[in-house]
Amino acid sequence: MNDIPGSLNMLAQSGYPEIMGQVTLMHYLVVSMVMFVLGLIGFLTRRNLIIMFLCTELMFQAAGIALIAFGRYHMDFTGQTFVIFVLTVAAAEAAMGLALIVLLFRRSDSLDAEVWSEMKG
Amino acid sequence: MELMNPLLVYGLVALGGIGVALALPRKALGPQLAGAVIAAAAGGIMVLLLTLKGVQSNQFTNIYFYIFGAIALGGALRVITHAKPVYAALYFILTILATAGLFLILSAEFMAFALIIVYAGAILITYLFVIMLATQAPEENIEYLAEYDVKSREPIVATVVGFVLLGVLTALMFRGSQSLPVAKADAAPALLTEMPRKVERVLKENGLLQEGERVEMVGSGDVARMNMDLEGGTIAIMSADGSRRMIERAVWPEELKTLNIEALGFNLLRDHPGAIEIAGVILLMAMLGAVVLSRKQVQIDEELKMQQAQKLGMSMDVSPSAPVQSAESLAAQMASNAAAKAEGGA
Repeated sequence: MNDIPGSLNMLAQSGYPEIMGQVTLMHYLVVSMVMFVLGLIGFLTRRNLIIMFLCTELMFQAAGIALIAFGRYHMDFTGQTFVIFVLTVAAAEAAMGLALIVLLFRRSDSLDAEVWSEMKG
Repeated sequence: MELMNPLLVYGLVALGGIGVALALPRKALGPQLAGAVIAAAAGGIMVLLLTLKGVQSNQFTNIYFYIFGAIALGGALRVITHAKPVYAALYFILTILATAGLFLILSAEFMAFALIIVYAGAILITYLFVIMLATQAPEENIEYLAEYDVKSREPIVATVVGFVLLGVLTALMFRGSQSLPVAKADAAPALLTEMPRKVERVLKENGLLQEGERVEMVGSGDVARMNMDLEGGTIAIMSADGSRRMIERAVWPEELKTLNIEALGFNLLRDHPGAIEIAGVILLMAMLGAVVLSRKQVQIDEELKMQQAQKLGMSMDVSPSAPVQSAESLAAQMASNAAAKAEGGA
């Protein structure tokens, strides 16, 4: 990659003109990993059910960045295709999860996950 | 190729962990700010070291990567540290927009826009609706925050777990790998063989194709698949009188290349058709599940049921098209209901 930093032609390209180096790949993977771990910590520490769900979406995002960065590195489109499926699963999960949260909220009148710390079965 | 000293990585990760642990929601604002600054410093040092490494090996990273990456991670940190759920959701939208920017730099244009439309446009709006439905501040105190939003659960343990994971991952990754294969530079002709009409249109626009001529074949270099043996990238053109001429790869016009969305479409629909069907089923199941789960069950007592049945029976008597049978059975049911009620009352 002999692209000088700040030049616009990286944004304007439409094909796969240049091969990406390993160090450049690492940049994206670092962002992806840090975002994943932030999502994980948020899921473990927050007590609001909706925020916990948002944190799982954050982890989905991180996985998407890693998939697309690897796809770009290998000059392959399968990574992007699988991000489409990640989006699908995220949408399905949000629909079901939010329905469940609404149900739980109706029962306990609170979004606190601790309320449900003792369950049957 | 070792990219970074593991000890340095562990140190930076530990520093970031301390920062995030401090930044998690708590009563006092001071530690939160300090934590955010420490976490940002740790992340900044790591990226700076990576950049130096890249300059050494002559691999420059786009400046927009740093901008979008910083916004994405800052937004993510704010999602998990903001006490107000609505603001957390808005910061998540910010993270999504920055991620879409990263996708653009990675030349995944379709995914960038799909991400904005699907995530920021649809999923997050649903989240906001649910948040606003479920969290309402009492009228006398607008600034009221629920106790479960202000106090986090086991912040130290969770941060240690998360950042041990991060440390192991980064240290392993920075050891580098020789075995990562380097891809072919030019995958475009292979897909253009599937799109002779597009090749024809582009050639015509550039004056390389005369009237009456048509593209017969675009060579993929894959002899086994084609009857004719063409070099990769050579275009065979059939003219009106049946003669054939070739256009070499070297004289292709600049515009003749596969677009991101074309390549993605081929990959999605030609290589993974089954997965699309499964995704459709998943979405359908999720929709049905959400409807069934969140349906409100209305409790109607016996008296109300009777009244409704009476109303229904009367309207059925009046309307001439109503089947007599059902009106009769309804009346019988009403009578038995009334009898049961009378018994219960006695």
